[in-house]
Amino acid sequence: MELLFAAPALPLDEAGKYVAGAYVVFVVLLAVYVAIMAAKLQRIERELREVAAIAEEREETQVAPGRGSETPLASHRSGGGDTHV
Amino acid sequence: MYGKGLKPLSIATVAMLALSLSLVFFYAPLDADQGFIQKIFYIHVPLAMVALVGFVVGGAFAILHLRSDDRKWDAYSYVAIHISVIFGVAVLITGAIWAKASWGHWWVWDEPTLVSFLIVFLLYATYYPFRYAIEDRDRQARYASVFAVTAGAFVPLNFMAVRMAESLVHPRTFATADGGLPGEMMLTFLCSLVAIGLLWTTLVKFELTAKSASGQVKRLRRALDAPVSGGGSRIAPEVS
Repeated sequence: MELLFAAPALPLDEAGKYVAGAYVVFVVLLAVYVAIMAAKLQRIERELREVAAIAEEREETQVAPGRGSETPLASHRSGGGDTHV
Repeated sequence: MYGKGLKPLSIATVAMLALSLSLVFFYAPLDADQGFIQKIFYIHVPLAMVALVGFVVGGAFAILHLRSDDRKWDAYSYVAIHISVIFGVAVLITGAIWAKASWGHWWVWDEPTLVSFLIVFLLYATYYPFRYAIEDRDRQARYASVFAVTAGAFVPLNFMAVRMAESLVHPRTFATADGGLPGEMMLTFLCSLVAIGLLWTTLVKFELTAKSASGQVKRLRRALDAPVSGGGSRIAPEVS
């Protein structure tokens, strides 16, 4: 084990690749994490779009049967003044 | 509202990372003993310190969960441990690269610092299967919190034990009162530590925001009484 202490400092050209390797590992891990999070966010966005579509569809189906009854109300509202006259 | 303040935090993190990298390669002097290879110190040691502190923070959040029974703290604990495990992977790989360059070996099994960190890392690696194994969400959160508290208490004990043990090759960082680093190196190291700490905080906040958004979508689906196409995650705690 003492031989490990005696190991001389690596020359710059050789040490450079190790240092670059260490920092590249850090950047790659970060990039992989960001890519996974991007995929998760895409899934959330897709789900949100689906939920919005369901909500809109439901709104339309709720409005559609009520249209007949809504028309006299609307006419009542718009022509409310006429009834009073 | 986990996303609040995420943008300035992200900008601060990127700025701090850029500053620390500039200091590492253009300001900090070359180490007299190790030369250029010592530059790995500025990424390896802050990552290790932040990962270990992150594990303890995860345990602290777990205590809050057990005390209050608020699922929010379970989510905090899960995310803190999750990000710390990712940092732990980076610590092990950067450490192995540094070891190969300095000692000629990727790994030294009789070195307490290396082996103890591996033990801590493997302990937290079991957190995921432990969590997945429990179906009931309330029990899952409770058991995961007990695990996080126990493992979180183990981290400082393990650290102290390693400090007391005799080191063979791995240097002891900040073993002396003045830190044992010259001014420029200390400044660079502290900047790197702050940058990595900010990165950890940003990633935790980012992950919590994503989980919160996912939880809100699921709540919306339930409110609309529509079938869930994606299915809920059994592992990741839902944040609302």
